[in-house]
Amino acid sequence: MLEVIGLTRRFGDLLAVDDVSFSVPAGGLTGFVGGNGAGKTTTMRMVMGVLARHAGEVTWQGRPVTDEDRRRFGYMPEERGLYPKQAILDQLVYLARLRGLDASRARTEIGELLERFGLGGRTSDPLEKLSLGNQQRVQIVAALVPRPDALILDEPFSGLDPTAIEAMADLLRERAAEGVPVVFSSHQLDLVDRLCDRLVVMARGRVAAQGTADELRAGAPVRYRLRLEADAGWTAEVPGISLREHDGVDALVEVAEAGAEQELLRQASARGAVLDFGRVVPRLSEIYREVTA
Amino acid sequence: MTTPNPPVWRVVAAREVAVKLKDKSFVLGSLTTLAIIVALIGLQVFLDSRTDTHDIAATTPEAGRLVEAIAAAAPEIQDGVAITLVEEDDDGAARSAVDDEDVDAWLTQDDDGGWRLVTKDDADSTLLTIIESVVRAEVLATNAEDAGTSVAELTAGTELTTEQLEGNPELSELQDILGFALAFMFYLASIIFGMTLAQSITEEKQSRIVEMIAAAVPLRQLLAGKIVGNTVLAVAQMAIYVAIGLVGLSFTSFGDLVPGVTGTMVGFLAFFLVGFLALSCLWAVAGALASRNEDLQSTSTPVTMLLMLVFLGSAFLEGRWETIGSFIPPLSAVAMPVRLVNEDATWWEAAIALGLLLALAAALVAIAERIYRRALMQTGGKLSMRQAWQLEE
Repeated sequence: MLEVIGLTRRFGDLLAVDDVSFSVPAGGLTGFVGGNGAGKTTTMRMVMGVLARHAGEVTWQGRPVTDEDRRRFGYMPEERGLYPKQAILDQLVYLARLRGLDASRARTEIGELLERFGLGGRTSDPLEKLSLGNQQRVQIVAALVPRPDALILDEPFSGLDPTAIEAMADLLRERAAEGVPVVFSSHQLDLVDRLCDRLVVMARGRVAAQGTADELRAGAPVRYRLRLEADAGWTAEVPGISLREHDGVDALVEVAEAGAEQELLRQASARGAVLDFGRVVPRLSEIYREVTA
Repeated sequence: MTTPNPPVWRVVAAREVAVKLKDKSFVLGSLTTLAIIVALIGLQVFLDSRTDTHDIAATTPEAGRLVEAIAAAAPEIQDGVAITLVEEDDDGAARSAVDDEDVDAWLTQDDDGGWRLVTKDDADSTLLTIIESVVRAEVLATNAEDAGTSVAELTAGTELTTEQLEGNPELSELQDILGFALAFMFYLASIIFGMTLAQSITEEKQSRIVEMIAAAVPLRQLLAGKIVGNTVLAVAQMAIYVAIGLVGLSFTSFGDLVPGVTGTMVGFLAFFLVGFLALSCLWAVAGALASRNEDLQSTSTPVTMLLMLVFLGSAFLEGRWETIGSFIPPLSAVAMPVRLVNEDATWWEAAIALGLLLALAAALVAIAERIYRRALMQTGGKLSMRQAWQLEE
């Protein structure tokens, strides 16, 4: 498990990351979301040691992370690129060797991954001859070789076409299933919602919320949608219920006291037919909007 | 995959070398330089082996004897000059032979007994020198005999011998050329490989690959690998040039001098190595301060200026200033080998200069690492040295 405890970083007077703590457990995908300037990239850079931290620490398997540990972490920085003029296989082997893999094993692992991303026939092409999407795929391979102990990926899906997004998602799920802790940041909340077991939401340098999707939803206000035969304005009067939206026969209510929704339903039935009554499960983007507001 | 085999700096250095060896312009450039060296040596060999033949006309037996004496003396006075006697019937025939360029010159005796050389246009200066000296010697011998004495008696004590306190007179000419050539080669190689190093650092910033590398390996190792890789390339190239140059030189008329300068050349390579290492750190800083290749022009200006000073200083400093300069790094990287070539520095002077140069290299490595570490992740335009120094990691 990778753990971040009280990480803090200032740039001049700006407190970019303020006492951020979260954990990335093995065997699952952790999504790291937040708006631009929320502190995601700064946090990830401190985790990888490319940026000095002003307070806090990062632990790996319960002890402070070392450079040797990080050497075996797969990292995809937000600002990324490769050597434009070198053949893709050559530079991937070089990067793998920098991280301690011997050349022949590196060739095997890289060959398999390039094959998987449909780049098997282009291993000796210089990077600049590839389309931007394919360059992104090469970048992914660079982060995944040698088989990493943990994956820290900053916006890994940006710039990928739908096919590559699926291939990438499958790979991440596979690695996670093998017990590798994976954390990635993304602006694509639907994707995060679909893929991730856990979420860390950042806003203005702090962790605004974290937990599994269900836990986050549990923290969100409980809401019900109601459709009646007649006007639904009376629901505002029911104790423990507050009316959030009202449009003639439709109402969206928030339950302030548990059980109040049952009283609401009884009263509604007493007044006439209830055409629709159901719990509104908030989308991740709604939760996100609320916790970062 | 857990063992760090081999160390990171070696992986980095190996890539620097491999990428350069696959670079067509680098390979072509090196081959061109080699071709020029070989061609220059070939030219020298050709000039050495060439024989200049001059036909001299004579119309009288006296003139014929004199021309034969000239022909016999010519090779001793000047290598590669041969003179042949062409007998002509009379003055008119001789004159027209010169005019038609059938012969190069006509040697004739005037009525007053003086000798005259007739040529169509400017007389060849070498030929003129030979003829003048033989004519003078012959006439002098005749005159001496007439006066009842001998040339040896007449010229006894007139010979001026020379003694050169500094350096070897035979080597002097070669030493001057060598000294200048060494200074120039150092300048050129430092610029070429220094720029290559700076570019390779800027390329990693510009392409944004550096953050991924920085996350995986210590930056010190990355910097060390880059410097080592480019130093290996530079020294290897220099060693090949010097070796080819020395082998070639042994085929020319300077051949006897090769054993004498070989040791000095090895010394030059040692200074070159340490000097290049020290300057590499500055090139690395220039590379790290730039964000894009276009910035390099301005961030590397201080280094190119410094190199220019080193070059000019080592080429033109004389006497005491040259001695002082040969101890001041990085000027000493060239100035001391130049003094070694001229044989006016002792081995312990060279050792002190090398030590000082090493100290500078060590200090520059430390400074360069700090700036490199701080500037490397700054990709928003070029930085000044001061900005980079004060940046926070």
